[in-house]
Amino acid sequence: MRIVVTGVGMVSALGIGVDKNLLSIQHDESGISLFPRILHTDHKMPVGELQLTNEQLHELAEIPLSAHLSRTALLGILAVREALKDAKVDTAKRIGLVSSTSVGGMDLTEHFFKYYMENDATGRLRDVRMHDCAASTEAIKKYCTINAYTTTISTACSSAANAIIHGTKLLIHNIVDCVVVGGCDALSAFTVNGFESLRILDDRPCRPFDNNRNGLNLGEGAGYLVLQREEEVDWFYGYLAGFSNKNDAYHQTASSATGDGAYYAMQEALKVARLFPQDVSYINAHGTGTGNNDASESAAFIRLFGKNVPPFSSTKGFTGHTLAAAGGLEAVLSVMALRHGILYPNHNYETPMESYGLEPVTQYTPNVDVKCVLSNSFGFGGNCSSLVFVR
Amino acid sequence: MECYVDKIKTNRDITTDIKLLIPDAALRRRMSHIVKTAVATAVECLDGVDTISSLDAIITATGWGCLEDSERFLRNFIVNNEKLLNPTPFIQSTFNTVGSQIALLKHNHCYNVTFVNRSHSFEDALLDAMMHIADGASNRILLGAFDEQTPSQHRIMERMGLFRNIQDGAGVVFTLITAQKSERSIARVTAIDFPNHGLTESECMKYASSDNAILLYNVFSRYGLFPIASAFCFAEAIDLIRQCKQEVIVYNEYLGATPTIVRLQCIG
Repeated sequence: MRIVVTGVGMVSALGIGVDKNLLSIQHDESGISLFPRILHTDHKMPVGELQLTNEQLHELAEIPLSAHLSRTALLGILAVREALKDAKVDTAKRIGLVSSTSVGGMDLTEHFFKYYMENDATGRLRDVRMHDCAASTEAIKKYCTINAYTTTISTACSSAANAIIHGTKLLIHNIVDCVVVGGCDALSAFTVNGFESLRILDDRPCRPFDNNRNGLNLGEGAGYLVLQREEEVDWFYGYLAGFSNKNDAYHQTASSATGDGAYYAMQEALKVARLFPQDVSYINAHGTGTGNNDASESAAFIRLFGKNVPPFSSTKGFTGHTLAAAGGLEAVLSVMALRHGILYPNHNYETPMESYGLEPVTQYTPNVDVKCVLSNSFGFGGNCSSLVFVR
Repeated sequence: MECYVDKIKTNRDITTDIKLLIPDAALRRRMSHIVKTAVATAVECLDGVDTISSLDAIITATGWGCLEDSERFLRNFIVNNEKLLNPTPFIQSTFNTVGSQIALLKHNHCYNVTFVNRSHSFEDALLDAMMHIADGASNRILLGAFDEQTPSQHRIMERMGLFRNIQDGAGVVFTLITAQKSERSIARVTAIDFPNHGLTESECMKYASSDNAILLYNVFSRYGLFPIASAFCFAEAIDLIRQCKQEVIVYNEYLGATPTIVRLQCIG
């Protein structure tokens, strides 16, 4: 049985909708702003923030403000609706959802806690109702046409890729007829302070794979695919041919210098797809812009591809690192690279890395024969996932 | 789809000294109570750290994740005005901390995923394990569920009026699932389903393959109100199978959430 992608939807700092995102990338316009405007924080570092308030997002989604949804859920709803509309799924089918998030409703919890800390009888309860990860999934289910099996995965920054992998299994085992898979995460003071405490945020726009890279920029967004069984559809973007999740098992937050987890995940994903390294046309790298990630990922590329590393780039210079949503946004971009025959530029790249002799794609490159795209997502806890999309 | 259960342990079954289960003292110190308890339960379930190498998948489930560390980091950055923060509680607040700490103990590179889906986090993880086995992707899977109790979680849920008729709860369950029957097998899971509406007790019994099946129906009144309470029912079901040699049905439905139903049988 082959699994196909029949719909895509995404929201990021570049805007709402896949077309808007692609157009910005084509014009080399980044969504990274110099400091957060919507998020309440004293930190003044660059972020990939969607310039709409929660009130505006409720209005845009035509959901009453009284629903009081978390920002994470609102971003998810907008992207899932786009993906389902794109796929034109028959609502008589069993439509499942595998969503993922790492912050959940933390934006609302932060608000609650300011009051609760002073007095545990205060803080409005509606501000903690959406704290847990599944709350955003339930909201997406409620406000989109999801009528079957629904679950939530949270494995830090590889979450959405793992949601996509899980969705393929639900189709293979006939638990659902169609499944929306991906992830959503909003910016929150919790994650901004968390990554700041780890000292891996760049105070300038991030420069993945650049020798002078100095950390990541956090972003927010949502990215979802609609997956179905090939024999049940008339039209599709491409195949989700391979996937793998492996663990680096090196450190809770850092990646191994040898890129073990990344190497095993890419290798197994290609094996599942019955493809060889030389078949890969383009890699949408995890490429966060931290010294450690990009070095480890580069080492894994060289281990797997030797001297013939295919064209690769990180799109995080456009969107920021959207954590649990990253694998979803990048899966959408990978599918669009196949569909339109394009390679995305690695925004802000200037200086080649001394140690690896690797250079990412630097220009928006149309009219390329893109047959196979590898998409990487790596997270805390050594969690490494790779997806293989084929035309 | 079916799978065999070789072993099951809850945090209440830990008899080994935690220093033997997690030998690295610095690591133990960094771990929050729930992470330490969950990792220790996992190691106890595996008969020691060395057996982690032989696992093909580590699948964890939690409804709330690491609440104590999340709250600690949240309070720290509010109190310290976002300055000079210790990153450890942030790092350990991640939902997949337990799964990845288990992998780290013996450098196991296998599949490692965490389901965070309220009252059926455990069943979702079990479904994933069963699909892995059916696909031939795994032979030995460590499946675990954990949720912790904190003063704030208790206070907030109390304010929501959730403890009027039911008690609070928390705990850890780990189980070793295998593809093949062996002399170590103690039960087998022969069905898992997610019905699209609530079931009565007699509707649940339609899932049974024999007339004398035992039904565990009220998960939360048995173990308290916490998301992975049904993992404790799963452990109880396995105890019943060992003692009574009878089939057991576990039905889990919480406040309008999608119900789940799992059938466990004796080793055939």
